[in-house]
Amino acid sequence: MWRYIVRRLLWVVLVVLIITAFTFVIFFVMPPTDPAVQFAGKNPTPEQIAEVRRQFGLDKPVWQQYVLFLKNIFTGDEYGWPGLGFSFVTRSPVKDLLFDRIWVTISLAVGAALVWLCIGIPIGIVSAIKRGSLLDRGSMLLALFFVSAPVFWLGLMALWLFWYKLGISPGTGYVPITQSFTGWLSHMILPWVVLALLYAAFYARMTRSNLIETMGQDYIRTARVKGLPEWKVILKHGVRASLTPVVTLIGLDLGALLGGAVITETVFNLQGIGQWAVNSVFQGDLPAVLAVTVIVALAVTLMNLIVDVVYAYLDPRVRYT
Amino acid sequence: MMGKRRQRLRLVGLALALALVAAACGGGDDEGGGDQQEVTAEKGGVLRTATTDFGFTNGFDPTGEYLGSAFTLYGALIRTLVSYKHIAGPPGNELFPDLATAIPEPADGGLTYTFKLKPNVKFAPPLDRAVTSKDIAYAFQRINTQPLAAQYGVYYFGVIEGMDGKAKSASEAVSGIETPDDQTITFRLTKPTGDFLYRLAMPATGAIPEEVAKCHTKAGDYGRYVVSSGPYMLQGSDQLDVSSCDAQKPISGFDPSKNMYMVRNPNYDQATDETRTNYVDGIKIDVNTNLDDIFNKVDTGALDTSFTDDAPPTLLQRYSTDQAKRNLIHVNDGDRTWYITMNWATPPFDDINVRKAVNQVMDKAGMLQAWGGNIAGEVATHIMPPNVLNGQLTAEYNPYPSEGNRGDEAKAKEFMKQSKYDTNKDGVCDGGDCSGLVMINRNVAPWTAMEPVVVESLAKIGIKVTARELASSAAYTTIQTVKNMIPIALNAGWGKDYPDPYSFAAPLFTKEALIPTGNTNYALLGLDSAKAEELGIDAPAGAQIPNVDADVNRCQEIAEAEPRTTCFVDLDKKLMEQAVPWVPYLWNKVVVITNPSVTKYEFDQFSTEMSITEMAVSNKETLS
Repeated sequence: MWRYIVRRLLWVVLVVLIITAFTFVIFFVMPPTDPAVQFAGKNPTPEQIAEVRRQFGLDKPVWQQYVLFLKNIFTGDEYGWPGLGFSFVTRSPVKDLLFDRIWVTISLAVGAALVWLCIGIPIGIVSAIKRGSLLDRGSMLLALFFVSAPVFWLGLMALWLFWYKLGISPGTGYVPITQSFTGWLSHMILPWVVLALLYAAFYARMTRSNLIETMGQDYIRTARVKGLPEWKVILKHGVRASLTPVVTLIGLDLGALLGGAVITETVFNLQGIGQWAVNSVFQGDLPAVLAVTVIVALAVTLMNLIVDVVYAYLDPRVRYT
Repeated sequence: MMGKRRQRLRLVGLALALALVAAACGGGDDEGGGDQQEVTAEKGGVLRTATTDFGFTNGFDPTGEYLGSAFTLYGALIRTLVSYKHIAGPPGNELFPDLATAIPEPADGGLTYTFKLKPNVKFAPPLDRAVTSKDIAYAFQRINTQPLAAQYGVYYFGVIEGMDGKAKSASEAVSGIETPDDQTITFRLTKPTGDFLYRLAMPATGAIPEEVAKCHTKAGDYGRYVVSSGPYMLQGSDQLDVSSCDAQKPISGFDPSKNMYMVRNPNYDQATDETRTNYVDGIKIDVNTNLDDIFNKVDTGALDTSFTDDAPPTLLQRYSTDQAKRNLIHVNDGDRTWYITMNWATPPFDDINVRKAVNQVMDKAGMLQAWGGNIAGEVATHIMPPNVLNGQLTAEYNPYPSEGNRGDEAKAKEFMKQSKYDTNKDGVCDGGDCSGLVMINRNVAPWTAMEPVVVESLAKIGIKVTARELASSAAYTTIQTVKNMIPIALNAGWGKDYPDPYSFAAPLFTKEALIPTGNTNYALLGLDSAKAEELGIDAPAGAQIPNVDADVNRCQEIAEAEPRTTCFVDLDKKLMEQAVPWVPYLWNKVVVITNPSVTKYEFDQFSTEMSITEMAVSNKETLS
């Protein structure tokens, strides 16, 4: 198994290299704007543009810029390890900006994932067991509603209701957990729930359909014939097998969310990775865009690896080779 | 200076909403400063604001920063030799001594300026020392340092002896600046420069302590270490460890992506300052990416106002139609001209009659409506905003008049008939040169809303354009790259850097301003075959492209205010009638909404943003 993990980690490195190379070409070779001109001011002299180009490292051949970028990632730059350069916009190290924001995004993504798992999976299980019942139909109708509702609308509605009208939410913004646990929690609950409702609906529908399919399998019938109690048949044999695709999904979803839940972050003024990435694209802050790309690529590929490892525990048929 | 509002106008097709606002406001501008609330203004409290993004152009380092909202912040942090009163309208464009004891008369035929400094002005903690002439000289040395990329250094390069922007280090003295003692500084100029005093009011020239700034040798680096000489300081500035460069850590009160907090500078002496009132005890600007949230907070009183963002049109409409809230809308002149550029080097705009026809046919009223109606601004009829020309030239001068500014097709066709592109003399542009022209535009409102108005107007005289919509920065860099040879563009606007017409004339119309990339002389005035070769383009055969360099230089040498302005007024008229570089269509207004907690609203005409030193609030909050 360890050999498998090492091999997969090497794949992770390769994937990150390919993705960053693509990003580099897209943003540095084919940009719609010249960052040096953009950041040289309203009425720049050619010398000023050249100076900004030099300071941004854009005066070197593109391949050299990319090699330097890779070298800095692995060996660090003047701002430490990993070397992600400095932001064209804030003129500060990208690493600091990234690490400042990543905790916000992790808070949001992990918290929301816990919430949607706690809501989505039980609802899916109950719906599958009580298939065709009022509970099943009601749950699926709700799930359809939340799947269809845009997250920005849900966010704004939640803010309007719980903050403006009822006054039970502290509103938008982020309080670091190190500053105040209760402040952090109270500011995160609404974004967690809003983001989770969308995913919970997906997960409920998926769990339901998987479980319905699983419960029709021969080995379930065998388990029943053996005289196992129904709850054991459902939980031990049915749910466990039906959750395998859910694990795949959560790996991908969590990985993607670590790259930023842009809309949720924007609506709730959580200064996380996603919002930063979008702003950076619009502002032409190429080092920041690259840094986020690296993080997203790493997050998705590593989460995939974790999912594959977890498979072994959920499905005994899976073997690593 | 760059205006954030330029990039942020979110009028999003709700012209109707803004038209209602305009009707409700009925021209009740704040100009002149203050309103009936002024009587209740008291000192104390915290001005609580938020912005979706600071958008600084150079990390808030005063040497290179070029953003209007940064200029308003510097008004509270940095003192210059001369400054403004940070109020609205023409009085806000008058210069007063700030660090200087008096405004001197130039000597040696306008080539020498000597200032005496006030003795009791001190830097904030941890420096706690008096501001000296060497701190001013050091600011100029920074401007002159190439790696610091001073974004408006052109106002000093070639003007002050020894300044060319090519110094390798800020420790290199400028030969044209002398500091015989701590209270005296002398500037020697290479040529008479009538607006030199205005240039000394720019934030980059404010006092900068070398012991701190010498540690920050890259463009933008000093932005998080700004040591105050003004009434406020960045919160936590007193904790800055100046024992060594390694010991310096960014001041806690400013994080470009999160917030900026200012508290009173304990070393500030109000008796030394006749330009600021400093009502509030603190200034708080948080970054909040949710624009609606910002304005909900303004509405509910959690914030006093937004910092630089424009209100959503729906909110503006609600305020304008609510009798109790109308006086919370503040409207002031933006001193910025918005215009359609036409490239002299591309057909059919190499014919002045075509350019005149375009001016004559344009439905400017329709464009203003698409922009947001009368509250958003007024129809521009010439190049420089009236405030910049001290009111000597206003919208009453209109060389291309039409009924209701809707455009005059018949008159436009008369112009077109005189052009070489109207071969059959029917008043319509003929042939391939008149169709398929690329017109650059921005991809957001109100530019997208104006686009059909412009396309339709041009079509009346046979000019058929294909709009290419780009993000704001991409649109600018596209038209600023001369080789792209963009015939016509709708995205451009220009705001004053300081209240003198030179800050329009020189960068926009002189041959010197013609550069391959970053070019702002969009019409290519002054282009000749040598310059065309330098720029890597073909000079249009037979085109007589006007050159106004001599006019600009003549006006620039005049120091006396009135004749100087008159000279630039004549230049403006000459441009509109003999060069026709643009179709100016709008002088925009700045619209701000405040909460009733703001007991005194003021507008800073220099920065064209709210005036943070002249606003008062009723809250009793503190920044600890």
